[in-house]
Amino acid sequence: MALVSIRRTVWSTGGTAVAVRRVVGKLGSLLLTLFLASLLVFFSRFLVPGDPVSFLLKGRKPSPEAVADITAEFGLNLPPWQQYFNWIIGVLHGDFGRSLQFRQDVSTVIGDRLPVTFGLVIMAGIMIAVIGLISGVAASLNRNRFWDKAILTGLTVFGAIPSFVGSIVLIAVFAVQLHWFPSFGSGEGFFDTIYHLVLPSLALTIVFVVLVGKVTRSSMVEQLDREHVEVATSRGLSRGSVVRRHVFRNAIGPILTVSGPLVAGLLVASSIVEAAFGIAGIGSLLVQSVDRLDFPVVQAVVLLVVTTFVAVNAIIDILEPWIDPRSAAGAGAR
Amino acid sequence: MNLLEITELTLDLPNGVRLLDGISLTVAAGETVGLVGESGSGKSLTARSVLGLLPERSTAGGKVLLDGTDVITTSPSELLALRRHSASMVFQDPRAGINPMRTIGDHLTETLRLCEHLPADQAKERAIEMMASVRLPRPEAHLRQYPHEFSGGMLQRVMIAGALSSSPKLLICDEPTTALDVTTQAEIISVLTEQRKSRGMGMLFITHDLNLAASLCDRVYVMSAGRVVEQGSAREVFSDPQADYTKKLVAATPTILVGDAEAAVPAELVPLAPAEPEDASGALVVRSLSKSYAIRGKTPVRAVSEVSLEIPRGGALGIVGESGSGKSTLARLIVGLESADAGEIVIAGKERTAPPRKRQERLAHARSVQMVFQDPYLSLDPRITAGKSIEDALRLHSKLTSTASRAKVIELLDQVGLTEKHADARPRKLSGGQRQRVAIARALAIEPDLLVMDEATSALDVSVQAQVLEVVADIRRERGLTVLFITHDLAVVRRVCEETVVMKQGEIVEHGKTLELLTQPRHDYTRHLIESVPRPAWDLDEAIEEAS
Amino acid sequence: MTTATIELKTRRVPGVAGFDTSFMVSAIVLLLMTGMAIFAPIIAPYDPNQVNFMSVYQGPSISHWLGTDSLGRDILSRMMFGARTALLGPLLVVVSSTVLGILLGVLAGWRGGWVDAVLARLFDVVFSFPSLLIAIMAVALFGKGLVAPVIAMSIAYAPYVARLTRSLVASERHRPYVAAYRVQGFSGAWIALRRVLPNVAPIVGAQSTLNFGYVLAELAGLSFLGLGVQAPAADWGAMINEAQSGLVGGHFLPALVPAIAVVIVVVAVNIIGEELSDRIGGEIPS
Repeated sequence: MALVSIRRTVWSTGGTAVAVRRVVGKLGSLLLTLFLASLLVFFSRFLVPGDPVSFLLKGRKPSPEAVADITAEFGLNLPPWQQYFNWIIGVLHGDFGRSLQFRQDVSTVIGDRLPVTFGLVIMAGIMIAVIGLISGVAASLNRNRFWDKAILTGLTVFGAIPSFVGSIVLIAVFAVQLHWFPSFGSGEGFFDTIYHLVLPSLALTIVFVVLVGKVTRSSMVEQLDREHVEVATSRGLSRGSVVRRHVFRNAIGPILTVSGPLVAGLLVASSIVEAAFGIAGIGSLLVQSVDRLDFPVVQAVVLLVVTTFVAVNAIIDILEPWIDPRSAAGAGAR
Repeated sequence: MNLLEITELTLDLPNGVRLLDGISLTVAAGETVGLVGESGSGKSLTARSVLGLLPERSTAGGKVLLDGTDVITTSPSELLALRRHSASMVFQDPRAGINPMRTIGDHLTETLRLCEHLPADQAKERAIEMMASVRLPRPEAHLRQYPHEFSGGMLQRVMIAGALSSSPKLLICDEPTTALDVTTQAEIISVLTEQRKSRGMGMLFITHDLNLAASLCDRVYVMSAGRVVEQGSAREVFSDPQADYTKKLVAATPTILVGDAEAAVPAELVPLAPAEPEDASGALVVRSLSKSYAIRGKTPVRAVSEVSLEIPRGGALGIVGESGSGKSTLARLIVGLESADAGEIVIAGKERTAPPRKRQERLAHARSVQMVFQDPYLSLDPRITAGKSIEDALRLHSKLTSTASRAKVIELLDQVGLTEKHADARPRKLSGGQRQRVAIARALAIEPDLLVMDEATSALDVSVQAQVLEVVADIRRERGLTVLFITHDLAVVRRVCEETVVMKQGEIVEHGKTLELLTQPRHDYTRHLIESVPRPAWDLDEAIEEAS
Repeated sequence: MTTATIELKTRRVPGVAGFDTSFMVSAIVLLLMTGMAIFAPIIAPYDPNQVNFMSVYQGPSISHWLGTDSLGRDILSRMMFGARTALLGPLLVVVSSTVLGILLGVLAGWRGGWVDAVLARLFDVVFSFPSLLIAIMAVALFGKGLVAPVIAMSIAYAPYVARLTRSLVASERHRPYVAAYRVQGFSGAWIALRRVLPNVAPIVGAQSTLNFGYVLAELAGLSFLGLGVQAPAADWGAMINEAQSGLVGGHFLPALVPAIAVVIVVVAVNIIGEELSDRIGGEIPS
């Protein structure tokens, strides 16, 4: 007990320095992870045995001009660390090099396709959050009774439907049979785009909702068994207040922790859904670039996904003291 | 009409297990009623049923009349009203019982705002009043603090303030001081009695501690296996128990009262006189041992500071202290789990200061000292059977054949009062007391010079504790084993050890013969510690009578 | 804190009896699927790659139980052969990532200190690459097929296993029973490998089972994208890829059969994995 010191948290006066130090620490850790990830992305090319020129030109005519071009563009005659340095400086300025298949800047190619993928990920994310939270909460409050089992079974089955399976079933039923939604393309204008993205985002929702649903349920159930919930009940708080203020509030932490990686997972899974629905987004661009051996684009997309993942996680990390005050003081969470 | 009237309360699980079997009890306004029993007796369930907090899917029978309303059959909204106005409860572990993610202020004002619909500033005022009444030091500041910033004792005051904020007629206390140190317990109990008196509440007090119940309660109910086995005024029940179970319980309960204790304890349990030391150096000699822990960003904490002590061969030394006194760190230093910053440890004439590294050192260290840990549920490997865990230790230290070691295992189990059939049981099939016996047998298998027992009986019920202590006494008699007994419980030391050391914040504050230390403490802290131990109220009465 | 009445959940040890029906059904389904994959050459009614333009897009019939696809190939036979790549890939990934993950996890959890810190940082970096992304990258570097993705995903999944193992081992390391072994004179390596690892491994193993479903879906997805198993080879993902063009014309069966096969296997594996984790469970520290 002597070890427990009375220390103010980030809210109180005098705690600001602690909070700033924490955020700076998190940002440092974020940059370090990004730096290591960028090394991995860049030097992965060096894992391929053989001549880098022939790797980058694979599938294309190795004419002397092309060889000279590619050597100059990638600085292949420079030492590896110099190549990395040039590349990363470019990346930091938004220059990801040139696409081999489109003969355009990679940043332009990606910029054109980014909005539709973000739209898809955001729509799917909202659906996953809403359905996942509702089903998880409903299941936990009916623990071990009919609705709990029904929801859990539903989630398990949905979670086993990979997005490519979900896509073809949705296309077969809602596009081909019922003609309710289009089966192809991403549409024009805001509402048309949303309309086109309903089935694709549903395909993502089907497989990913299980993650949020199950973690919500288990996190709620864990809190429901806590003594502080019993104490709140014993004091005459209504069931609703107890669940809202003491169960759900405390269950948010683990739900957020699972949601971070989910965003990056959705970005990658969008490649499958976009391929199935013929949407010109980042995902289909990645697949197409792998298919057409356009390595600069592959590198750029991979880096984009990784950065999103790291950034989302860092945001959740930084938010943590507001979710669990114990983490601010460095006290072990129980 | 009584405030609380429970008649023939039963509680059944769907699988046919009967948790409570016909409980009847009453609490009148202004009265303190104790509910006493060991773990699993159903005392907590009974208390919770008063507020309608029943286990999921259990069915209750009988009547629980709280303030004239039957809790079992009443409507959900009536039940909320009862919880808000008629009775409230103080739970055992305040750290688990107060939401760690909400502020103390939120905990205290929550029901006022949401149930009584008080405006925020009035609720805040009430909360500050309540905190002042349970003698929390800085009510204003506490409002914005979080539970992790509080010590256990302070949190329990918060819990009490919260329970009292609804001005209940009945206060139910479920082991409210079990998780606390004895001096903190004394403070909490005085707050509780003070509030009960000034508010004229009835109080239902659940505890496993007979001494505490005797010091506090007007009447007591003794529970065992879901039934009330005895009831009556506290004095009657404890000084002249009728039921066999109560008799056993009273006999097993250690006390620090020297006068009647010596009469109550069977002769064989009276500590042995220390054997004449065979050589000048004792079994254990510790010289100015120090250890501090560095915590990042804080000044290092001195867990053990300049500690010196000595146990003669065959002797038993008790180390008493509250949590944070450094007694467990001292134990870990002696058995070689931690390395000391300074000082010296000598066991049976051999230098054992540094934790062992190489194989030979490890084995030699292990033969010098063995340890029995606090929690029998965690100190045995869950996958390894009792016999195997003893056999592992045996075969590490001797070249026995498997048949020979098997025979030796059974011999050891026999010594601690277990039989061959326990050898093949995994820990989860054994009770707490049985596990602790296995742990003792395992330690004895190595035939150490010194046995360290770190709170080895504090997780056990008193009757089981008494049996384990008896096993230890037997072994000491047979083997002349030297024992270092670490505990927070003065009464246990009183039973086991000839000499006692009192530790506070890493330092030894007093050292002496146990009986002298208990009857004539020299240091203020020792005196405070002894005064904090609950004792029956009627002893005081007698003392007063005799004096007048 | 010295508490007199600590109630602790004792760990459950897996029992043989008492598995519920959904578990038994899942086990049977998996056994049948595995048998089908192994014995495909014997039990398949047709050569999976035999093209027959006379019988394109036929519905189910006596001769073709599940009909034929756009090239008149027998869907049932293709589904049977497709099970081979569909099941073998995930199996390899799960086994190798579990072995690698347990080794790294025990190392990190038992040694602690800088070893733990370095490994944790390394895992963080791998975590920031979603596993499907790593698989796609492997294809970009080493070409289409399953070899590179399987190796890449073994590496991608190992940190998940390692992190779980690490946290289990680290919490186990501070349990009194480990201190008791030390006091008895056992060496650290003996305690870690002979006592802690066997206590931890079943929990990790059960959790790893759950990865099988994810890996299967991802590898099939890779083939669906045309980056894994290449047409015309029979593979569930590749079959769906080939069958996509027929969907608009209302020919659902060629896509639906392998799709349902994927879903059934994933459901079965997940039910088994969850049941095993529940039973062996114990508390998994967060």
